[in-house]
Amino acid sequence: MGMALVDLHPRVHATKVLERCELAHGVTLLTLHAPQLASAVRPGQFVMAIPPSGESAATALAVYDTSGKHASILFFVTGKRTRELAGLAPGARLDVVGALGNGFDCAGNERDVAIVAGGVGIASVWLCAKALLARGARVRLFYGARTAELLVEAQRFADAGCELILTTDDGTRGEREFVTDALRRAAPPEAIFACGPSPMLRCVGQIANEREIRAQLSLEETFGCGVGGCWGCVVALTARSGRAPNFPPAQRGGSDVVYARVCKEGPVFLADELRW
Amino acid sequence: MVNSTPSLATKLGKLELAYPTLMGSGCYGSGEEFAPFADLSKIGGIVLKSVTRLPRLGNPTPRLVHTPAGMLNAIGLQNPGIEWYLERELHKYKDRPCRIVGSVAGFSIDDYAYVCERLAGRDEIEAVELNVSCPNVAREGETFGCDPDLTERVVAAARATTDKPLIVKLSPNVTDITAVARQAERAGADALAVVNTVRGMAIDVESWRPRLGNITGGLSGPAIRPIAVLAVYEVAQAVNIPIVGQGGIENLTDALEFFLAGATAISIGTANFTDPRIPERIAAELQAYLARRNLGSISEIVGRANVGISTAYQYEGDEG
Repeated sequence: MGMALVDLHPRVHATKVLERCELAHGVTLLTLHAPQLASAVRPGQFVMAIPPSGESAATALAVYDTSGKHASILFFVTGKRTRELAGLAPGARLDVVGALGNGFDCAGNERDVAIVAGGVGIASVWLCAKALLARGARVRLFYGARTAELLVEAQRFADAGCELILTTDDGTRGEREFVTDALRRAAPPEAIFACGPSPMLRCVGQIANEREIRAQLSLEETFGCGVGGCWGCVVALTARSGRAPNFPPAQRGGSDVVYARVCKEGPVFLADELRW
Repeated sequence: MVNSTPSLATKLGKLELAYPTLMGSGCYGSGEEFAPFADLSKIGGIVLKSVTRLPRLGNPTPRLVHTPAGMLNAIGLQNPGIEWYLERELHKYKDRPCRIVGSVAGFSIDDYAYVCERLAGRDEIEAVELNVSCPNVAREGETFGCDPDLTERVVAAARATTDKPLIVKLSPNVTDITAVARQAERAGADALAVVNTVRGMAIDVESWRPRLGNITGGLSGPAIRPIAVLAVYEVAQAVNIPIVGQGGIENLTDALEFFLAGATAISIGTANFTDPRIPERIAAELQAYLARRNLGSISEIVGRANVGISTAYQYEGDEG
């Protein structure tokens, strides 16, 4: 048999829903038959899911897991668009554009790393955890959610070999605090990988910058096109960043900044290149 | 006689389009972003993101809010300014698979004239759209397009600088769009783009704050389609230059509405955010539609819904 060619070029994939699982109230895991996507996707990348009804803009969703010919997406139902996706039964067709964006670089040589996930941010970090564990790193997962039920998939990370540090806003599981409080208290890791709501990421970035820890943050922002065409999802970077797009820098807060597109240059940025 | 494949070719002044579909300014980047998902040789052209005299960082985030049947945006004309644009961006369009239309925005008549003049000698750009209707900039952005006299002066000043086809993009946020349309025509516009986004706003009821960084934004998508169809219908009866109809076009039916209302071409914007295959699909479906109706060309349906401007039945002697 010849070697399978892996095509990394993003494209529209016609996928089929194989399985739908409600992990918690309003949290859905869809497993898709998507062989080309599954082989192309890298940790932290996302897809734009085209609504089968055609009645709304496509939805940006992290690729949660891949296995053989399967790729899965994990999301919270927050509105009309995610409700439509959560209603897809096995056998339904779902076209997705992907794999998109620059994800996590998991190839470093840090031996002791922390993954920080807030809420649905967990969907972006499983492939990252797998890659880090596979190269023999110690992986601590700092995982926070509103309440115990929403700490979905925690066991999967534990079973794979991650050490769990859990927090909830209501104290129903783990410490009653923010996940960033737990991170601040812990022995500093050599590298941080994080995904979650913006306030959490800002705090993770602050902790990382204070302690000079290399931190990769996967940002959350409302997307328009998802492919870099509309400049709706920008974030300010220092103009010195290698990721800065081709754009004249502007003075802001005493330093030169440029706006980068979260969907195109990101969604993963280094904490020390962000100027937010 | 059996028709061969019906023609989708159309013209906006001197600008010849192989397909009657333009990609709306600011929605399609420079085209390269969509090239992996869409066959750019199957669209008429791309209207590039607006460029201004000086660089603009644009508005603070959030810049987008999804709303029922559409979205609000307030990007704020982020662009690198004309000098940077000429030096570092235009080269991308040398080998183009479709027409490339530049878009120019400004804050004074002189701004528009200056940028148009700088583009005049560059053959990477085949036509210029004058964006006199951006609702998302604090100073004057939309003032031009909301004032017939100012529109006329901007168009005349731009006209004096360039032989390229000039498309003037009109604002729907006016009382009488035909007045603006007529004065743009008089000043030398080759075509009119009808319409830009409708001003709108969304509020976060948790934080009690506007949801857009810019506070207000421009509404696009199917939510504004009837507004846009009416604008095309009215403008088509007021002027003798071609119209690019736009506002929430997502499928064949939507496209037909605009042609029948009087558009010579259509522009697709927000629908690309739903599915990047939509423009190509609409073109194929238009062609099949024309064949089914035994029509030879898209031009045969332009304005065919024209039954005049509606008036209610009146009582005798009512002068209202």
